Amino acid sequence: MKRSVLLSVNGERREVFIKPNSTLLEVLRDELLLTGAKEACGSGECGACTVLVDGKPVNSCITLAMEAEGKAIETIEGLSKEGKLHPLQEAFIDHHAFQCGFCTPGMIMSAKAFLKRSPEPTKEEIRNAISGNICRCTGYENAVDAILDTAVGTEK
Amino acid sequence: MTNFRHIKKGPRRTDGALIVTGRADFTGDISLPGMLFGKILRSPYPHARIVEINTEKAKKLEGVKEVITGKDIGYRRFSFIDTPAFPADQTPLAVDKVRFVGEGVAAVAAISEDIAVTALHLIDVKYEELPPVFDPEEAMKDGAPAVHETIEPNTTTAWEDFGIPSTKSRPYKAVNNISNRNLIEYGDIGKGFEDADYLKEDRFEIPSTSHMAMEPHAAVASYQPTGKLDVWLSHMGFEHKRFWLAKLLDMPISRVRVHKTYVGGAFGGKISIFPYEFIAAYLSRLTLRPLKITLTREEVFCVCPPSRRMIVYLKTGVKKDGTITAQQVKVIDDVGAYRGSSPTALYLAHVFRNPIYNIPNLKHEGYGVYTNKLYTTAKRGHGLQQIVFAVESQLDMICDELGLDKVEMRLKNFRKKGDTLPNGDMLRSYGLPECLEEAAKKIGWREKYGKKKFRGLGIGTASMFSGAHNFPFSSAAMIRLNQDGRMILYTGQAEFGNGVDTVMAQIAAEVLDCPLDYVIVNSGDSEVSPHDLGNWLSGGVFVSGEAVRRAALDLKDQMLQHAAAGLDIPVEDLSIRDGWIIPGSDESKKLSFSDISRYGIQMAGGDPLIGKGFSKCVPEVYFWKGKFNKTASLSSGKGRFTEAYGLTLAIAEVEVNPNTGEVEIVEVVLADDCGTPINVKSVEGQIMSQAVMGIGDVFYEEVKIKNGIVMNPNLLEYRVPTANDIPKITSIIVDSYEPNGPFGAKEVGESPRAAAISAIANAICNAIGERIYTLPMTGDRIMEALHSKNT
Repeated sequence: MKRSVLLSVNGERREVFIKPNSTLLEVLRDELLLTGAKEACGSGECGACTVLVDGKPVNSCITLAMEAEGKAIETIEGLSKEGKLHPLQEAFIDHHAFQCGFCTPGMIMSAKAFLKRSPEPTKEEIRNAISGNICRCTGYENAVDAILDTAVGTEK
Repeated sequence: MTNFRHIKKGPRRTDGALIVTGRADFTGDISLPGMLFGKILRSPYPHARIVEINTEKAKKLEGVKEVITGKDIGYRRFSFIDTPAFPADQTPLAVDKVRFVGEGVAAVAAISEDIAVTALHLIDVKYEELPPVFDPEEAMKDGAPAVHETIEPNTTTAWEDFGIPSTKSRPYKAVNNISNRNLIEYGDIGKGFEDADYLKEDRFEIPSTSHMAMEPHAAVASYQPTGKLDVWLSHMGFEHKRFWLAKLLDMPISRVRVHKTYVGGAFGGKISIFPYEFIAAYLSRLTLRPLKITLTREEVFCVCPPSRRMIVYLKTGVKKDGTITAQQVKVIDDVGAYRGSSPTALYLAHVFRNPIYNIPNLKHEGYGVYTNKLYTTAKRGHGLQQIVFAVESQLDMICDELGLDKVEMRLKNFRKKGDTLPNGDMLRSYGLPECLEEAAKKIGWREKYGKKKFRGLGIGTASMFSGAHNFPFSSAAMIRLNQDGRMILYTGQAEFGNGVDTVMAQIAAEVLDCPLDYVIVNSGDSEVSPHDLGNWLSGGVFVSGEAVRRAALDLKDQMLQHAAAGLDIPVEDLSIRDGWIIPGSDESKKLSFSDISRYGIQMAGGDPLIGKGFSKCVPEVYFWKGKFNKTASLSSGKGRFTEAYGLTLAIAEVEVNPNTGEVEIVEVVLADDCGTPINVKSVEGQIMSQAVMGIGDVFYEEVKIKNGIVMNPNLLEYRVPTANDIPKITSIIVDSYEPNGPFGAKEVGESPRAAAISAIANAICNAIGERIYTLPMTGDRIMEALHSKNT
């Protein structure tokens, strides 16, 4: 049986009518047309669907949408503010930290949550933080540099 | 060389902001009003006759719009390679029998994915199981189960459609399951072995690995009542896709529009048509509604072809000083249920390494063999890493046994700049020796080699086409001047992570000496872009980039002509600098690009100024009205292949823990001769990408198939490198300047992977003092090798 659920997505209140077993990813993509988060594995193994729930990164493909009710959901679409890209987004472009870009929204969201809890990370810590985000194109190092650069930038 | 404005720099990707905001549309992100969803029912058996399919119950399910079986579609055959000698052998859904676990037998269109899945369960298929064959060498024996009956072609082949005249395609009867074969010979192999002081013979086996592109395969098709088909696909170039869709649906190519999509990684795996793409289009035509099919990750692993499984028998003869006198290669390509790209792969397994070593006497024979397993295809260096793994492993063993220095031995046997290969290809640029010297210096080969127990050093080589001869491997581009002085560049190149939009903009902006943002790139739309074969066989920059360069030159020429007329001064006195047209030294009379656009419209009869350029990989190859010139034969390796080869040399240093078999990569150095790097950051990205993919190939990647079933169809069981697995990787760009490439550029997207694999594999074997003849080199295999050494 479908039921009505009130979600807070990128600061916007969104009412959706969904099945109890709908995943957060399905609701974001199919109901709210926020297609930035991607489904690559469908089983929580690759991180392409990463969004933040109350600031914590979750694999939205294995999170029920109903579990996120009443919590603050942040997706890649909510990252740029007032027409400006988030520093992480700028750094990813500067460092050529993506190639095909399919994993990029998820990786940036993981990085955002990580920098919030570790504002002065080492490269090793960054590698750990994004080790759940699989990228098949870049070999990761440019993304690690982009995240480090953002952290250093935030410090200033 | 000239001081470049944009070339040899590393500008940001022009489409970067779309990617980082999640607004780049991949096929799965496309949603159309009234869209239906398709799902495919798949065979649980590796080999079985289809006795009966009952779809009645499924058709009655509410929300189901259409159910089709192989019989409805019939024998519309397709294949990666479809020549008169090797006609297409695959159908979108199995018609009479299934040949691998996962082959489609029926498909459903429904108003939701859930309903489509439910409907699949309501389809009743009766199978009669047939004895399967899984081992290619067993399959070649007399009396083995026959995977295919005689294949009766019922249309022209793709090559005939592309203009190669031939006697009508003939039926193909696979004897002993041999799907295709080739034989390439030059010199005198017998005499070459006689001249050798030392002979070495080995057998190597290379498994399939998955492309594991992050984007699962998807297709959206929308057949219009006007008789036009719009599709959004995960692909590497629209020409192949629209050709096959048109042919299979029996409609004009021009009525198939492949729209621009972002593609979430391809790595050679998304070139030709997939059954689900045809089914999406077919169901859309039947229902007259848009329809989407998205494969699950498990489906991608189980039904989309991974890389080619090859067994390589290799015999090499050398003189005492290490000079190679002869080499004999026999490749058995376990193609699986369908031939796919095997004729190409068997040929490429020879020609891709042709530019590396000067082997005066050579025999290369290849056999594609049908088995009841998932079929296989190209993956980043199609056939290259398999053969290179075998050859480089054996050369290392030869050096060990003869006490030769592995660097010197290779330098002695490399080809030389200016060499003409046995087929007539010329090495106008050839930086491989320099690559080896630089990589050896960087890693400290001479100081380190053999100095520390359980530390190993290994070398890998590779070379790769910059586009090829076959099909119409050509590209065209248009560039249109707008009234604001900015330009729109139209190219058929597909963006799948290669950064083509940026690279093409750099080339055009370099020619027109203007800021990069003056060029807006419109790419990958079959209805808007001029002809472009696609971005495979690494022809993107060399062929399409050259077309873009020529289009920009054409526009520049037109602009200067108009400026000369407008200013009433000779065209020779004009130049373009920094986005302005400057007459002689008089800066005050300079004209903007915008002025030229206005001049064209007001004073030159409304001339809108459109530049046109085109390029063909090997211009001297043609076929026209029954005449052939230097067209390559996949079977005999004669004829021209390509115009320029990219080259890579990798050296790896590893340390092995003898108690656990764990390997730590100390460093991998990759020296790549890609000619002029158009975008240095993109080139470094390509090298890094392939080094990391190679690490996966060496340590853990293998599509494991048991009794025809893929045993590890998910990312828990199929491991790929994560951010925690990345060692120190150093890339060195050896800019050899390729005279025929745009600004001197050639290939970079495929050869580093093969070089990295062989280098790391050789380093491991060097560290443990034992040879492992297969991949991946897991901890278990390394321990086993260490034990066999000690016992």
